[in-house]
Amino acid sequence: MVTHSESLAGGPPQDQRRRLYRGDGWRTAALGILCVLMIAPLVMAVIISLKSPSQFTRVPFLPTWPLRWENYEFAVQIISQFLLNSIITSGATVIGVLLLSSLAAYSFAQIRFPGRTFVFYAVLALMMVPASLTLVPSFVLIRDLRLINTYWSLILPWIAGGQIIGILILRAFFESLPGEMFDACRIDGASDWQIYWYVALPLTRSMLGVVAVLNILGTWNNLIWPTLTLPERKMWPLTPGLYSYMEQYYTSYGRVMAGLLLGSIPLVILFVFTSRLFVEGLTSGAIKT
Amino acid sequence: MKKTLWERIWETKTGYLMVVPTLAFLLVFQYYPAVSGLYRSMFDWNAGLAGNFVGFSNFVELFTDDDVFIRSLKNMALLTIWYLLAFVGLSTGVAVLIHRIRNEGSKYFFRLFMILPVIIPAVVLILLWKFIYDSTIGPLNAILIGVGLQDWTHAWLAEPKIAIYAVMFRNFPWIDGISVLILLAGLQAIPVEIIESGLLDGASGWRRLRYIELPLITGQIKLLIVLTIMWGVQEYSAVWAMTQGGPIDSTQVPGMWMYFNAFRISRMGYASAIGVVMFLITLVATILNMRYIRSQEY
Repeated sequence: MVTHSESLAGGPPQDQRRRLYRGDGWRTAALGILCVLMIAPLVMAVIISLKSPSQFTRVPFLPTWPLRWENYEFAVQIISQFLLNSIITSGATVIGVLLLSSLAAYSFAQIRFPGRTFVFYAVLALMMVPASLTLVPSFVLIRDLRLINTYWSLILPWIAGGQIIGILILRAFFESLPGEMFDACRIDGASDWQIYWYVALPLTRSMLGVVAVLNILGTWNNLIWPTLTLPERKMWPLTPGLYSYMEQYYTSYGRVMAGLLLGSIPLVILFVFTSRLFVEGLTSGAIKT
Repeated sequence: MKKTLWERIWETKTGYLMVVPTLAFLLVFQYYPAVSGLYRSMFDWNAGLAGNFVGFSNFVELFTDDDVFIRSLKNMALLTIWYLLAFVGLSTGVAVLIHRIRNEGSKYFFRLFMILPVIIPAVVLILLWKFIYDSTIGPLNAILIGVGLQDWTHAWLAEPKIAIYAVMFRNFPWIDGISVLILLAGLQAIPVEIIESGLLDGASGWRRLRYIELPLITGQIKLLIVLTIMWGVQEYSAVWAMTQGGPIDSTQVPGMWMYFNAFRISRMGYASAIGVVMFLITLVATILNMRYIRSQEY
């Protein structure tokens, strides 16, 4: 019998590495089964989304022909308004978050103003305040500010909440930049505003991307808050919009499934273009939470 | 010459100006609601009126006279324990499996696949599972009938004894992509030399996992445990979308009960008190988290 020490002692390094990871077969099979189970509901949705009601009654879960693409045409008409609302609210939020959190993070990291530690901890402390504590008072506040039924009722609180994690990530990054570089700019007569805009921000582009992706994921999936502050359903973003769409057309299963699938596409597109930022943001952001 | 405080403040005025917008937003939309929530939890307060100060009687009522709240706490505990098993336990298993795959191509594929539950909007998965559980046309019952288990079919979300388990078991096979990615990053950071020397000492398979890999990713596992607990305490959007807490409050969780009191029956002071209880539970979890982070630094 060949012991491990013998097998490791001989052979080229390539072989050694390989012996560390044996038994691919059953691992691939186990993970493969998991993956199939994970996409099974989506496959079901695709199949049903191409059925008319009578086709669904006859053969609910296997493909039937002709394929009813008109379900998608129907869903597009309703989903597109929700999608537009989402793009407006999540888009405005992400711009606000990037601007505010990069400004504050630059200040915390590079300007030694008296009291900055205290102010920074005042920001940090909010990480401990969960949404459950603020839900009811936030709603009353939005009502008293007369922002009910406006996009601002989503954008303003989302900017306030979203910038906290952004400040944490960006401050760490600005602190990692060499201080001499900023000093050199100051000696050359640049103001802090100019340094922030022309030097710091361009260097931070990928970190801004990470913050943006995290922020969009957060606001995009918000289900309950918009239903409180927006009495008119035509104002709802995609997530509550899909919920109300399913409620409304529940028995037209083909149309419901087509709508749910269409509603999934925007994030998939975002992921395709930003996959590296995505993985980085999810792992780093979660660690810093 | 030493500068006075005022001179230093004047010199760094840009620094203040840059944090002013952030602070304004935080004061109005974070600090004010948080303080107001703590304050209003002591009022008998409905939507419009100023309300009467009632001291701690909202909290007394919660714990002595509100069976639904007590049940919601039990459900919250049940769900949180389940999320810990499913998210942290299962994710660790999946991360180790992916990590040990030798073929780089399939390793990359499986890593990429773990993103899937993240990029499908959470509400889509919840709604798909609501459909899967449907008692008349849902595929779950159809599968049970198909394999001859008619007796096992249920109105999954409509039977009080079963609904909470249906909410629990949604999103089968319960893989949490973010957890897998975090754990995988931890596993990949382990130097090959450590594994190799472990192998030289005869540690392979289970023992390699138990004595080398798991101890080296305890940081990530602890972090996920804390995050999952905090999430489990707070989360109620799945319940909101699937059952709204019903049937007969059998799937009630604290967040849902807070929502119901505040926005259905206008008991906003009482709802604020529920929010405060959830805040305190989360605070304990966060303090544990901070303590653990400190222990990592030393």
